[in-house]
Amino acid sequence: MSNKKNYGMVIDTRVCVGCSACVYACKQENHVPEGYCRDWVVQETGGEYPKLTMENRSERCQHCDNAPCVTYCPTRASHYAEDGTVQVNRSLCTGCKACMAACPYDARFVHPEGFVDKCSLCQHRIEQGMETACVSICPTGSLNLVDFNNMDQKAKQLLSGKVVYRQKEHAGTEPSLHWISASNKPGA
Amino acid sequence: MSHGQNFSRRDFIKISSIFLAGSAAVTTATGHAFSGADDQVGDEGSRVVYSFCEHCFWRCGIAAHVRDGKVYKITGSEHHPLSQGKLCPRGTGGTGLLYDPDRLAHPLIRETKGGRQFYRKASWEEAISLVAEKLWNIKEEHGPGALAMLHHGYGVSFFKNMFSQIGVNKYAKPSYDLCCGPARQASVLTYGYPSDTPEGFDMKNSKYMIFFGTHFGENMHNTAVQEISDGIRNGAKIVVFDPRFSTLAGKAEHWLPIKPGTDIAMMQGLMHVLISENLYDKAFVEAHTVGFDELRDSVMEMTPEKVAEITEIPADAIRTIAREYAFHAPAAFVHSGRRTNWYGDALQRIRAIHILNALVGNFWMPGGVVAFKKFPLVQPPAAHEHPAYEKEAYSKYPFFPQDEPSNTITSHEIIEDTIAGNIKGLLIYGVNLPETMTLGRDKAIEAMKKAEFVVAVDVLPAEVTGYADVVLPECTYLERYDDLDNGRAFRTPFVALRQPAVAPMYDSKPGNEIAKMITEKWGIHGAFPPSVEKGLDRKLKLVGSSLAEIRKKGVLVMPETDLYRKPGESLNLKTPSGKVELASAQLKAAGFDAVPKYVPQPEAPAGFYRMLTGRKPMLTFGRTANNRFLGDLATAKENEVWVNNRIAEKHSLQNGEYVHLKNQNGVVSEFPVKVKVTQRIRTDAVYMVHGFGHTSAKLTWAYKRGASHNQLISRTDIDPAMGGVGFQNNFVTFIKEA
Amino acid sequence: MLATAVNEIVSTKLNPNVVPHLHIWEWHIPLYLFLGGIAGGLLVITSIMIVLKRKFGIGPRDEGNGCPCLAVRIGSILSPTLLGIGMLFLFLDLAHPLYVWAFYTTVQPTSPMSAGSWILIAFFPLAILQAMLVNKRQLRDFNIEIVNKVIDWTENHMTMVALVNAHIGVGIGIYTGILLSFFSARPLWSSSILGMLFLVSGISAAAALMLLLAPKDEKPVYSMIDANAIWIEIMTVGLFVLGGLTGSANSHGAMMHLITGDVNLAGMSYMFWFWGIFVAAGLVVPLLLEFLEAAGVHIRFPNVAPVMVLLGGLVLRFLIVFAGQTYHTFV
Repeated sequence: MSNKKNYGMVIDTRVCVGCSACVYACKQENHVPEGYCRDWVVQETGGEYPKLTMENRSERCQHCDNAPCVTYCPTRASHYAEDGTVQVNRSLCTGCKACMAACPYDARFVHPEGFVDKCSLCQHRIEQGMETACVSICPTGSLNLVDFNNMDQKAKQLLSGKVVYRQKEHAGTEPSLHWISASNKPGA
Repeated sequence: MSHGQNFSRRDFIKISSIFLAGSAAVTTATGHAFSGADDQVGDEGSRVVYSFCEHCFWRCGIAAHVRDGKVYKITGSEHHPLSQGKLCPRGTGGTGLLYDPDRLAHPLIRETKGGRQFYRKASWEEAISLVAEKLWNIKEEHGPGALAMLHHGYGVSFFKNMFSQIGVNKYAKPSYDLCCGPARQASVLTYGYPSDTPEGFDMKNSKYMIFFGTHFGENMHNTAVQEISDGIRNGAKIVVFDPRFSTLAGKAEHWLPIKPGTDIAMMQGLMHVLISENLYDKAFVEAHTVGFDELRDSVMEMTPEKVAEITEIPADAIRTIAREYAFHAPAAFVHSGRRTNWYGDALQRIRAIHILNALVGNFWMPGGVVAFKKFPLVQPPAAHEHPAYEKEAYSKYPFFPQDEPSNTITSHEIIEDTIAGNIKGLLIYGVNLPETMTLGRDKAIEAMKKAEFVVAVDVLPAEVTGYADVVLPECTYLERYDDLDNGRAFRTPFVALRQPAVAPMYDSKPGNEIAKMITEKWGIHGAFPPSVEKGLDRKLKLVGSSLAEIRKKGVLVMPETDLYRKPGESLNLKTPSGKVELASAQLKAAGFDAVPKYVPQPEAPAGFYRMLTGRKPMLTFGRTANNRFLGDLATAKENEVWVNNRIAEKHSLQNGEYVHLKNQNGVVSEFPVKVKVTQRIRTDAVYMVHGFGHTSAKLTWAYKRGASHNQLISRTDIDPAMGGVGFQNNFVTFIKEA
Repeated sequence: MLATAVNEIVSTKLNPNVVPHLHIWEWHIPLYLFLGGIAGGLLVITSIMIVLKRKFGIGPRDEGNGCPCLAVRIGSILSPTLLGIGMLFLFLDLAHPLYVWAFYTTVQPTSPMSAGSWILIAFFPLAILQAMLVNKRQLRDFNIEIVNKVIDWTENHMTMVALVNAHIGVGIGIYTGILLSFFSARPLWSSSILGMLFLVSGISAAAALMLLLAPKDEKPVYSMIDANAIWIEIMTVGLFVLGGLTGSANSHGAMMHLITGDVNLAGMSYMFWFWGIFVAAGLVVPLLLEFLEAAGVHIRFPNVAPVMVLLGGLVLRFLIVFAGQTYHTFV
C-alpha cells in the first residue's frame, strides 16, 4: 500500500460497444463546449470479409507518467498532480499549443476561452471519493478507475490472464490507461 | 364558430419561427445550458431529481441534476433497477431536448386567409376550446369510432382517460406494428404470456447467446447492454446472424453474414440439427411442450446443406452452432430481438426463436429464458373501466392483442381508415407520423390531409405538426408528472415515478393538464383527480407508499424474485395446452402455419440492394433527431449509406461521397446521403440509420441532415396474423451527384 | 488492439484543429520561424563581417572610424527588428496572449518554448548593442546622452560583442528548427537535422537579403556567402529527406507525405511546393544564377536570385510546419 495515489484507468474493450455515453457524461460534467470533447470513442475494424474483427474503445488523455505535454510546457501550466494525473492550470496557460504538438495521443484542444483543455480524470470528483463521470455512467462497465499504487482485488482480477496493452508504449510516455484487448478469447 | 373553413384538403404549414422558442437570443442563452460557459464543475449547490427517461421505450431511471433552476446534467439513477446508476448516451441528452431552441412555445391554430394557410399563436383557452368542440362535434355526428389516437410516449395515459370519457377507444401505437408487436404475440402464442421489456433472457448468467439481426450496442438498451457485458465478462460466447458486421457482431465468436430474409430457414436448419442429432432436451420437450412431432416433420427436409443454399451460410457452420448451442444449454438462448419486424413474417420468425429455446430446455433456467415480474400496483376495478367503449379492440387481425388498453388497433389500420373517410378526427401524441415507418411517408400525409380535424400534441415542430389544425405544445418529460411506471418487468420488480425537474418552459403544458382541460371543456368533471400529484399519491397509498416517499428515489423496488423453475414443477402456462406450444393449434385454427415455415422473400432488381436499417447508439430515431447536444459528436451528425466495397467499386462510389438513393418504385431521396464504403456488409444489401433527412426547416438541427429511410419505403408487408408492418422489401440504387 | 490489420476506423472525436488532423499552427509560426531564421542569419553574417574586417580578403571595406560598410550596418539593424516582428506573430498565435507573462515566471529547460523565450530575451540587448555600435557615427549625431554613454563604454569591445553575437545568431537559427524537432509525436519534425537545415536556410536567406540591400561594390561578398549557404542547404535538405526515408515506417511515411504528398496548400500539392518551388526555384535555380554571375556571365536581373532564395526560405517554413501537422501522430 502506498499513501501516494497514482490514478489511471483499465478499459475493457471486450465489452465496450462504443455508445459514447462516456463522451456525453463528460461534456455535461465538465461543461465541455459544443463542438469539443475531452474523451471520444473509436471503433476499429480489421481483417477481411467475412473474417472481420472489431475493437471499441473510449479514449482520452492517458495521464502519462512521462508526459511530453508537461515536459514541453513553457509555463508549468501542464503539470503532474499529486494523485498521478496530468492537469492543466488554466491561469498559467498561454495557449502556445506546444503541449498539443507534443501529445502523441492528440488528447488536447484549445478551449474557446483561450486555454488548452483535456481530460482531468474528473479530479474534482476523485477528490471527493467519487469515480469519474465517464466511469460512473458507462453501461457496459468497460471503464474502470484504478489507483495503480493501491490496486484492489477487482482491478487485479480484471487484468489477470488477459492480453492487456498500452497505447504507443514505445513513445516512452508511460501512459496510465491500460486496455484489455478485444482480441481476448471468451473466458480469458 | 369563426374557423369555418374546410380543412379536409390540408396543406403542410411551416410553423413560423416567431411561435417557437428560438429567437436568436434564446438560442444563445439555452445553448449555454448544455455547452457550459461557466467554469464551475462539480455538483455544489445542486439538487437531484429522480425520474425516468423518455428518450426511448426502455424508461431507465434518471437523476436530473438541477442548479439555479436549470438541468445541467443527467445521470443514471442508482436506485432504478433498469439503470443501476448507468445510463445510455440518449439518457444524458435530456438537456438537449429541454433546452432545444426549436421547441414549440405556444398553442397554434391553423388559419386560412386569401387562400393561404398559416398558423397563428393562440391562447390555451382558445386552442383547448377549439379542440374540445371539434372532437365533440365529430363524436356527435359520426360516433366515437370516427375519432382515433396515434401515440408514442408515456404521457399518453391522460389522453386515453380523456378519450374514454366520450367512448373513444381507437388507440394505436406504431411501435406495436413496427417493433414489439410480433415479439409480444409470439410469446403469447408460444408461452402464454406477452414478452416484456427488458426481454426475458437471463443474459448475465448465460454462456452462449445467439442473436439474429438485433444489434445491442447500437440499440443502447441500457439494462440489456449491462447484462450482455456481464455475460461477456463471465466468459459467454456470442453468435450473431446479421447481414451486417454490427457492433454486437464485433463481439461475437461467430459472425454469420446471413442472406437477408432467410432467418426462418436458418432457424429451421438449427432445429433440424438439434433434432436429427438428438441434441435437444428430450425430457423438457416431453414434459412441457406440445406439437413436437409436427415440428420435427416440418424441419425434416431443412438439412444444413439445404439451409446453406438458402442462407449462404456454410452447412458446417450451421452444425457447429447447433452443437455448441446444445452443449451450453440450458445456459444458452436465442434472443428474440427488438424491432425485427422486417418482412411481415415476424410473428412466425419469433415463434421459431421461442421454439429453438424450448428445444434446448432453457425455459426458466439460469442463463436461459426467464419471465421477469412486474410491480403489482393495485389498479382500480379494471373489467369495464370505460363502459362507453364500443369495443375492447378494433383491429381486424386475428392475433392482435385483446388486452392492451392503450393499443386497440394497428396504426396502419388507422391510416387506411382515415384515408377511407371512416376516421374523421385524429389526435396525434408524440408520433412524427410522416417519418414513422408505418406505411411510408406518402400514406401518412394522405391520411392527415384527408382527416377533418387533426390535433398534434408535441414538444418540437416535427413534420407532423405542419399537418395539424391545432398544435398543442407539451412540455418535456423533465418538466412534468406522468403516470406511475410499473410497465417494466425485471429481476427486482419496481414502480417508477416521473416528476418534474424544472417548471414547464415557455407556454407549454404537461399532457395531464392538457387532457384534463379538454375533458372539462366537454363538461365532464371528476374524470381526473384534482391534481396529478393527488392522483399519484392516491395510487401509491394503495400499495402502502406515498408520493412523498417515491419522490425521494424516484422508484419503489421489491426484492429479487426467483426466476427459475424447479425440477418436476409443472409450468401451468396460459396457453390452451398449458404447455409451451411448439406447434400452435390456435394459429392452425385461424388458417396459419402451426409451425414456422420459411417463405422466400422477393429478390432485389438488378443493380438494386436491399435497404436495411438500424440506429446509432446516441440516437432514437425521431425522438432525438433535433437534439443538438446528442447530435454534436462526429458520428452523430448525419446518417451514411453503408455499401460493400465491391459494390462501391461496381458503381464507382468513393468513400465519403454523397449520393441520392432511388428505390424500386423510383422514389428518390430528397437529400443526398454520404457513402460509407465498408467490408462490414454483404454485397446484396445496403444499410442506413433511420431518423435522418428531416424536411421540417423548423427543426433547425435535423433539417436536411442525411437522408430519410422512411421516404424510401414504398412497399410494406403486413403480418396477416398480428398486423405488424415489415418494410425491408425495399431496394435502392445510387444516383451519383452530377 | 486487433489481431488483424485495421481497415476501418470510426471516431466520434470533435475538437477543431485537432480533427481530422492537427492544425494548431497556421501562418504565424512559419512566418515567425522564417523571420527568426533571417534574424539569426543576419546576426551571424554581420558579426562575422565585423570580426573579420578586411582579413582574408573577404571582409567589406572599412569606411574608417571603425564603422563597417553599409550592408553590415543595415543588417545589424534588421536582425533585431525582424525578430521583433517575428515575435509579434508568435504573440498573436497564443490562444491567450494576455498570459504571455507566464513564460517569464519560470525556466523550463526541457521545454523548447521556455528555452526559446529566454534565448530571445538574451538576444535583444546584444543584437541591439551591435546595431548601435555599427551605426555609432549616425547615432552620435542625435546627441542623446544615454546613447552616447553606452557607445562610449562599449565601442572598444565591438569585436567581442560581435563574436558573442555570432554564436547567438547560430543559436537562434538552430533554435528555429529544433523547436520543431523536439516534438517526437510529429514524425516529420522529429529530426535534429531540422536545426541545421533552418540555420543554413536562415543564413542563405540573410545573405540574399544583404545582397539585395548592399551597394554594388559590396554585393560579390554576399553573393559568395549566399552561394555557399545554398550549396550547404541543398546538402542538408538531402540529408533531411534521406534521414526521413531511411527511418522507421513512421518517419518514412511522414517524409513521403511531404515530398510526394497530394495535400493541397494554397492550390498546389505538397509535392509541387517542395520540389518545384522550394528545391528548384528556391535553391537550384538561384545557385545556378549566382554561379553564372560569379563566372562573369551577365545576369540581366541580378535581384531575381536573392528574391527566389528568400521565397524558398519562406516556403520551406510553411511546408515543414504544415506537413508536420497534416501527417498523423507518431504511431
